[in-house]
Amino acid sequence: MKKVTIDPITRLEGHGKIEIFLNDDGSVANTYFQIPELRGFEKFCEGRPVEEMPRIVPRICGV
Amino acid sequence: MAKLKLALYWAGACGGCDVAVLDVNEKILDVANLADIVFWPIALDFKYHHVEAMPDKSIDVCLFNGCIRSSEQEHIAKMLRAKSKVLVSFGSCACFGGIPALANLTTRAEIMERAYIEAPSNENPNKTLPQIKVSVPEGELTLPELFEDVLTLAQVVPVEYFVPGCPPTVDLILKVVNALATNSLPPVGAIIASEKSLCDECDRKKEKKMISKIYRTHEIIPDAERCLLEQGLLCMGAATRGGCGALCVKVNIPCRGCFGPPPGVKDQGAKLISSIASIYETKDEKDIARMVDEVADPAGTFYRFGMSDSMLKRKRVQGK
Repeated sequence: MKKVTIDPITRLEGHGKIEIFLNDDGSVANTYFQIPELRGFEKFCEGRPVEEMPRIVPRICGV
Repeated sequence: MAKLKLALYWAGACGGCDVAVLDVNEKILDVANLADIVFWPIALDFKYHHVEAMPDKSIDVCLFNGCIRSSEQEHIAKMLRAKSKVLVSFGSCACFGGIPALANLTTRAEIMERAYIEAPSNENPNKTLPQIKVSVPEGELTLPELFEDVLTLAQVVPVEYFVPGCPPTVDLILKVVNALATNSLPPVGAIIASEKSLCDECDRKKEKKMISKIYRTHEIIPDAERCLLEQGLLCMGAATRGGCGALCVKVNIPCRGCFGPPPGVKDQGAKLISSIASIYETKDEKDIARMVDEVADPAGTFYRFGMSDSMLKRKRVQGK
Protein backbone atom coordinates (compact mmCIF):
# COMPACT_ATOMS: atom_id res chain seq x y z
CA MET A 1 0.00 0.00 0.00
CA LYS A 2 1.36 3.43 -0.95
CA LYS A 3 1.90 5.93 1.85
CA VAL A 4 2.05 9.72 1.64
CA THR A 5 3.71 11.40 4.62
CA ILE A 6 3.21 15.07 5.47
CA ASP A 7 5.86 15.95 8.04
CA PRO A 8 5.84 18.38 9.67
CA ILE A 9 2.43 19.98 9.41
CA THR A 10 3.25 23.68 9.12
CA ARG A 11 1.79 27.10 9.85
CA LEU A 12 0.22 26.11 13.15
CA GLU A 13 1.35 25.95 16.76
CA GLY A 14 2.83 22.64 17.72
CA HIS A 15 4.00 19.50 16.04
CA GLY A 16 2.05 17.19 13.81
CA LYS A 17 2.50 14.54 11.17
CA ILE A 18 -0.05 13.07 8.76
CA GLU A 19 0.23 9.61 7.20
CA ILE A 20 -2.11 8.89 4.27
CA PHE A 21 -2.40 5.29 3.05
CA LEU A 22 -3.54 4.92 -0.57
CA ASN A 23 -5.30 2.02 -2.28
CA ASP A 24 -3.91 0.69 -5.57
CA ASP A 25 -6.35 2.89 -7.51
CA GLY A 26 -4.97 5.97 -5.72
CA SER A 27 -7.99 6.52 -3.48
CA VAL A 28 -7.43 7.11 0.23
CA ALA A 29 -7.66 3.95 2.36
CA ASN A 30 -7.05 5.66 5.67
CA THR A 31 -5.39 8.71 7.19
CA TYR A 32 -3.64 9.04 10.55
CA PHE A 33 -2.85 12.28 12.34
CA GLN A 34 -0.04 12.01 14.86
CA ILE A 35 1.38 14.38 17.47
CA PRO A 36 5.07 13.51 17.87
CA GLU A 37 5.57 15.66 20.96
CA LEU A 38 4.80 15.61 24.66
CA ARG A 39 6.15 17.91 27.33
CA GLY A 40 4.08 16.78 30.30
CA PHE A 41 2.58 19.95 31.81
CA GLU A 42 -0.19 17.67 33.17
CA LYS A 43 2.41 16.09 35.43
CA PHE A 44 5.11 18.64 36.15
CA CYS A 45 2.62 21.34 37.24
CA GLU A 46 1.62 19.09 40.13
CA GLY A 47 3.24 20.24 43.36
CA ARG A 48 4.13 23.67 41.96
CA PRO A 49 2.58 26.64 43.82
CA VAL A 50 -0.76 27.68 42.38
CA GLU A 51 0.28 31.35 42.30
CA GLU A 52 3.10 30.40 39.91
CA MET A 53 0.77 28.80 37.36
CA PRO A 54 0.14 32.06 35.47
CA ARG A 55 3.86 32.07 34.68
CA ILE A 56 4.22 28.36 33.89
CA VAL A 57 1.20 27.35 31.83
CA PRO A 58 1.42 30.18 29.25
CA ARG A 59 4.33 28.12 27.90
CA ILE A 60 1.92 25.40 26.82
CA CYS A 61 1.35 27.60 23.77
CA GLY A 62 3.09 30.89 23.12
CA VAL A 63 1.54 31.63 19.74
CA MET B 1 25.96 40.94 -0.64
CA ALA B 2 24.09 37.75 -1.43
CA LYS B 3 21.11 37.14 0.79
CA LEU B 4 21.68 34.97 3.83
CA LYS B 5 19.90 31.65 4.10
CA LEU B 6 18.05 31.58 7.41
CA ALA B 7 16.29 28.66 9.11
CA LEU B 8 14.15 28.75 12.23
CA TYR B 9 13.02 25.67 14.09
CA TRP B 10 11.11 24.69 17.22
CA ALA B 11 11.85 21.50 19.09
CA GLY B 12 10.20 21.01 22.52
CA ALA B 13 8.72 24.48 22.67
CA CYS B 14 5.56 26.58 22.82
CA GLY B 15 6.04 28.72 19.70
CA GLY B 16 6.62 31.85 21.77
CA CYS B 17 10.19 32.20 20.45
CA ASP B 18 8.91 32.04 16.87
CA VAL B 19 6.29 34.67 17.63
CA ALA B 20 8.95 36.81 19.35
CA VAL B 21 10.74 37.00 16.00
CA LEU B 22 7.56 38.51 14.56
CA ASP B 23 7.35 40.91 17.53
CA VAL B 24 10.08 42.98 15.87
CA ASN B 25 7.10 44.38 13.88
CA GLU B 26 8.10 46.34 10.75
CA LYS B 27 11.76 45.39 11.32
CA ILE B 28 10.78 41.94 10.04
CA LEU B 29 11.06 43.59 6.61
CA ASP B 30 14.77 44.17 7.31
CA VAL B 31 15.05 40.46 8.04
CA ALA B 32 13.31 39.73 4.73
CA ASN B 33 15.74 42.05 2.91
CA LEU B 34 18.69 40.43 4.61
CA ALA B 35 17.76 36.78 4.40
CA ASP B 36 15.79 34.17 2.53
CA ILE B 37 14.03 31.90 4.98
CA VAL B 38 14.56 28.30 3.93
CA PHE B 39 12.80 26.54 6.83
CA TRP B 40 10.33 27.84 9.43
CA PRO B 41 7.50 25.46 10.32
CA ILE B 42 5.34 28.05 12.09
CA ALA B 43 5.22 30.32 9.05
CA LEU B 44 6.30 28.52 5.88
CA ASP B 45 5.50 25.17 4.31
CA PHE B 46 8.89 23.47 4.07
CA LYS B 47 9.10 19.80 5.05
CA TYR B 48 11.88 17.83 6.74
CA HIS B 49 12.76 16.18 3.42
CA HIS B 50 13.46 19.64 1.93
CA VAL B 51 16.03 20.29 4.67
CA GLU B 52 17.44 16.77 4.30
CA ALA B 53 18.08 17.50 0.60
CA MET B 54 20.09 20.68 1.28
CA PRO B 55 23.88 20.44 1.06
CA ASP B 56 25.81 20.54 4.34
CA LYS B 57 26.61 24.08 5.57
CA SER B 58 24.21 25.59 3.03
CA ILE B 59 22.14 27.37 5.70
CA ASP B 60 23.98 30.47 6.95
CA VAL B 61 22.17 30.83 10.27
CA CYS B 62 19.71 28.63 12.11
CA LEU B 63 17.81 30.00 15.09
CA PHE B 64 16.86 26.86 17.01
CA ASN B 65 14.39 27.11 19.87
CA GLY B 66 12.99 24.44 22.15
CA CYS B 67 14.44 21.71 24.31
CA ILE B 68 15.48 18.24 23.15
CA ARG B 69 13.46 15.46 24.71
CA SER B 70 12.67 13.06 21.86
CA SER B 71 14.51 11.09 19.20
CA GLU B 72 12.89 13.26 16.52
CA GLN B 73 14.06 16.50 18.14
CA GLU B 74 17.57 15.06 18.47
CA HIS B 75 17.52 13.99 14.82
CA ILE B 76 16.39 17.44 13.59
CA ALA B 77 18.97 19.13 15.83
CA LYS B 78 21.73 17.01 14.29
CA MET B 79 20.39 17.57 10.78
CA LEU B 80 20.17 21.37 11.21
CA ARG B 81 23.63 21.36 12.81
CA ALA B 82 25.06 19.66 9.72
CA LYS B 83 23.23 21.96 7.31
CA SER B 84 24.02 25.23 9.15
CA LYS B 85 27.18 27.30 9.31
CA VAL B 86 25.98 29.05 12.47
CA LEU B 87 23.62 27.38 14.91
CA VAL B 88 22.04 29.65 17.53
CA SER B 89 20.51 28.24 20.70
CA PHE B 90 17.50 30.55 20.77
CA GLY B 91 15.43 31.03 23.91
CA SER B 92 15.47 29.54 27.38
CA CYS B 93 14.32 26.03 26.39
CA ALA B 94 17.17 25.54 23.91
CA CYS B 95 19.69 27.25 26.23
CA PHE B 96 18.76 25.80 29.63
CA GLY B 97 15.84 23.38 29.21
CA GLY B 98 13.24 26.04 30.01
CA ILE B 99 9.82 25.36 31.46
CA PRO B 100 9.64 21.90 29.77
CA ALA B 101 12.70 20.88 31.81
CA LEU B 102 10.51 20.95 34.94
CA ALA B 103 9.70 17.48 33.59
CA ASN B 104 13.13 16.48 34.92
CA LEU B 105 11.57 16.76 38.38
CA THR B 106 9.37 13.81 37.46
CA THR B 107 9.86 10.75 35.22
CA ARG B 108 8.83 9.76 31.72
CA ALA B 109 6.65 6.96 33.11
CA GLU B 110 4.84 9.35 35.48
CA ILE B 111 4.26 11.83 32.65
CA MET B 112 2.86 9.13 30.34
CA GLU B 113 0.62 7.81 33.10
CA ARG B 114 -0.74 11.25 33.94
CA ALA B 115 -1.17 12.50 30.37
CA TYR B 116 -2.65 9.40 28.75
CA ILE B 117 -4.33 7.45 31.55
CA GLU B 118 -5.13 9.57 34.63
CA ALA B 119 -6.04 12.94 33.10
CA PRO B 120 -9.79 13.46 33.61
CA SER B 121 -10.38 14.37 29.97
CA ASN B 122 -9.07 10.97 28.77
CA GLU B 123 -11.20 8.14 27.43
CA ASN B 124 -8.64 5.32 27.46
CA PRO B 125 -10.09 2.17 29.08
CA ASN B 126 -7.34 -0.07 27.66
CA LYS B 127 -4.67 2.25 29.09
CA THR B 128 -2.94 2.52 25.74
CA LEU B 129 0.26 4.54 25.74
CA PRO B 130 1.92 6.00 22.64
CA GLN B 131 4.10 3.40 20.93
CA ILE B 132 7.26 3.97 18.88
CA LYS B 133 5.90 1.52 16.30
CA VAL B 134 2.36 0.33 15.85
CA SER B 135 0.78 -1.88 13.20
CA VAL B 136 -2.47 -0.66 11.69
CA PRO B 137 -4.50 -2.51 9.03
CA GLU B 138 -2.91 -0.36 6.31
CA GLY B 139 0.70 -0.71 7.43
CA GLU B 140 2.95 0.65 10.14
CA LEU B 141 2.95 3.95 12.04
CA THR B 142 5.89 5.33 13.97
CA LEU B 143 6.35 7.94 16.67
CA PRO B 144 9.58 9.36 18.10
CA GLU B 145 10.93 7.94 21.35
CA LEU B 146 10.40 10.23 24.32
CA PHE B 147 13.65 10.57 26.30
CA GLU B 148 13.75 10.15 30.07
CA ASP B 149 15.52 13.54 30.38
CA VAL B 150 14.92 16.95 28.87
CA LEU B 151 18.17 18.21 27.32
CA THR B 152 19.47 21.55 26.10
CA LEU B 153 20.43 21.96 22.45
CA ALA B 154 24.14 22.24 23.37
CA GLN B 155 23.91 18.91 25.23
CA VAL B 156 23.14 17.31 21.85
CA VAL B 157 25.13 19.27 19.23
CA PRO B 158 27.79 22.02 19.24
CA VAL B 159 26.27 25.50 19.19
CA GLU B 160 27.87 28.82 18.13
CA TYR B 161 25.72 31.31 20.06
CA PHE B 162 23.16 31.49 22.84
CA VAL B 163 20.26 33.94 22.96
CA PRO B 164 18.47 33.45 26.30
CA GLY B 165 15.01 34.58 27.33
CA CYS B 166 11.50 33.23 27.54
CA PRO B 167 11.17 34.50 24.92
CA PRO B 168 14.23 36.52 23.81
CA THR B 169 13.28 40.20 23.80
CA VAL B 170 12.87 42.26 20.65
CA ASP B 171 16.05 44.22 21.50
CA LEU B 172 18.11 41.04 21.65
CA ILE B 173 16.60 39.68 18.43
CA LEU B 174 17.44 42.97 16.67
CA LYS B 175 20.97 42.73 18.09
CA VAL B 176 21.30 39.34 16.43
CA VAL B 177 19.79 40.60 13.15
CA ASN B 178 22.11 43.64 13.13
CA ALA B 179 25.14 41.48 13.86
CA LEU B 180 24.19 39.29 10.89
CA ALA B 181 23.53 42.31 8.65
CA THR B 182 26.88 43.89 9.42
CA ASN B 183 28.75 40.58 9.56
CA SER B 184 29.88 41.44 13.09
CA LEU B 185 29.00 38.33 15.06
CA PRO B 186 30.69 38.01 18.46
CA PRO B 187 33.27 35.29 19.22
CA VAL B 188 31.89 31.76 19.07
CA GLY B 189 30.36 30.68 22.37
CA ALA B 190 29.01 34.15 23.19
CA ILE B 191 25.78 34.55 25.12
CA ILE B 192 23.97 37.41 23.41
CA ALA B 193 22.56 39.30 26.41
CA SER B 194 24.04 41.42 29.22
CA GLU B 195 27.38 40.61 30.86
CA LYS B 196 25.90 41.62 34.21
CA SER B 197 23.26 40.19 36.51
CA LEU B 198 19.64 41.29 36.45
CA CYS B 199 20.21 43.08 39.80
CA ASP B 200 22.65 45.38 37.96
CA GLU B 201 19.93 46.56 35.60
CA CYS B 202 17.12 46.65 38.18
CA ASP B 203 16.51 50.17 39.49
CA ARG B 204 14.80 49.14 42.73
CA LYS B 205 16.30 50.46 45.98
CA LYS B 206 18.60 48.02 47.76
CA GLU B 207 19.00 48.86 51.43
CA LYS B 208 21.09 45.89 52.58
CA LYS B 209 18.08 44.79 54.67
CA MET B 210 18.06 41.35 56.24
CA ILE B 211 14.93 39.19 55.95
CA SER B 212 13.16 37.15 58.61
CA LYS B 213 10.35 35.67 56.52
CA ILE B 214 9.95 34.38 52.96
CA TYR B 215 6.61 35.34 51.43
CA ARG B 216 4.75 33.74 48.57
CA THR B 217 3.75 36.25 45.90
CA HIS B 218 0.05 36.28 46.88
CA GLU B 219 0.79 36.92 50.56
CA ILE B 220 1.96 40.53 50.28
CA ILE B 221 1.68 43.48 47.92
CA PRO B 222 5.30 44.52 47.57
CA ASP B 223 6.54 48.09 47.67
CA ALA B 224 7.11 49.10 44.04
CA GLU B 225 10.39 50.93 44.80
CA ARG B 226 12.28 48.52 47.05
CA CYS B 227 14.23 45.36 46.21
CA LEU B 228 11.81 42.43 46.09
CA LEU B 229 14.23 39.99 47.72
CA GLU B 230 14.74 42.40 50.63
CA GLN B 231 10.95 42.39 51.05
CA GLY B 232 11.05 38.60 51.48
CA LEU B 233 9.93 37.63 47.98
CA LEU B 234 12.04 35.08 46.16
CA CYS B 235 13.45 37.05 43.24
CA MET B 236 16.00 35.31 41.03
CA GLY B 237 17.62 38.59 39.95
CA ALA B 238 20.90 38.06 41.80
CA ALA B 239 21.37 34.68 40.09
CA THR B 240 20.14 35.69 36.64
CA ARG B 241 21.81 37.24 33.62
CA GLY B 242 20.53 40.68 32.67
CA GLY B 243 19.47 41.73 29.21
CA CYS B 244 15.69 41.50 29.47
CA GLY B 245 15.28 45.11 30.64
CA ALA B 246 13.98 43.88 34.02
CA LEU B 247 10.55 43.28 32.53
CA CYS B 248 9.04 41.28 35.39
CA VAL B 249 10.45 43.28 38.30
CA LYS B 250 9.27 46.50 36.64
CA VAL B 251 5.68 45.27 37.06
CA ASN B 252 6.27 44.30 40.70
CA ILE B 253 6.73 40.59 40.01
CA PRO B 254 9.87 38.78 41.12
CA CYS B 255 12.27 37.44 38.47
CA ARG B 256 12.10 33.70 37.77
CA GLY B 257 15.45 33.49 36.03
CA CYS B 258 14.61 32.88 32.37
CA PHE B 259 17.92 34.43 31.20
CA GLY B 260 19.92 31.74 32.98
CA PRO B 261 22.92 32.22 35.27
CA PRO B 262 25.02 35.41 35.04
CA PRO B 263 28.67 35.29 33.90
CA GLY B 264 30.86 33.30 36.30
CA VAL B 265 27.98 31.35 37.83
CA LYS B 266 27.75 27.66 37.08
CA ASP B 267 24.57 26.78 38.94
CA GLN B 268 21.75 29.33 39.06
CA GLY B 269 19.86 27.72 41.95
CA ALA B 270 22.93 27.29 44.15
CA LYS B 271 23.80 30.95 43.54
CA LEU B 272 20.37 32.16 44.63
CA ILE B 273 20.34 29.89 47.68
CA SER B 274 23.66 31.42 48.70
CA SER B 275 22.29 34.96 48.12
CA ILE B 276 19.26 34.26 50.31
CA ALA B 277 21.31 32.58 53.02
CA SER B 278 23.51 35.67 53.24
CA ILE B 279 20.53 37.93 54.08
CA TYR B 280 18.74 35.65 56.56
CA GLU B 281 18.42 37.73 59.72
CA THR B 282 18.48 34.91 62.21
CA LYS B 283 21.19 32.59 63.46
CA ASP B 284 18.64 30.51 65.34
CA GLU B 285 18.33 27.01 63.87
CA LYS B 286 14.57 26.79 64.41
CA ASP B 287 14.03 30.10 62.62
CA ILE B 288 16.27 29.00 59.78
CA ALA B 289 14.32 25.74 59.44
CA ARG B 290 11.06 27.71 59.37
CA MET B 291 12.36 30.00 56.64
CA VAL B 292 13.56 27.03 54.60
CA ASP B 293 10.04 25.59 54.89
CA GLU B 294 8.63 28.91 53.72
CA VAL B 295 10.18 28.31 50.31
CA ALA B 296 7.13 26.65 48.75
CA ASP B 297 8.82 24.93 45.82
CA PRO B 298 12.62 25.17 45.98
CA ALA B 299 13.56 23.15 42.88
CA GLY B 300 10.72 24.52 40.77
CA THR B 301 11.57 28.10 41.75
CA PHE B 302 15.38 28.13 41.76
CA TYR B 303 15.52 26.05 38.57
CA ARG B 304 12.30 27.31 36.95
CA PHE B 305 13.92 27.63 33.53
CA GLY B 306 17.24 25.91 34.08
CA MET B 307 16.80 22.32 35.23
CA SER B 308 18.57 20.73 32.23
CA ASP B 309 21.54 23.07 32.49
CA SER B 310 21.85 22.81 36.29
CA MET B 311 24.32 20.65 38.21
CA LEU B 312 21.33 18.70 39.51
CA LYS B 313 20.02 17.97 35.95
CA ARG B 314 17.07 15.97 37.25
CA LYS B 315 15.38 14.50 40.28
CA ARG B 316 17.20 11.35 41.30
CA VAL B 317 15.03 8.31 40.77
CA GLN B 318 15.55 5.58 43.33
CA GLY B 319 17.64 2.70 42.00
CA LYS B 320 18.91 4.69 38.99
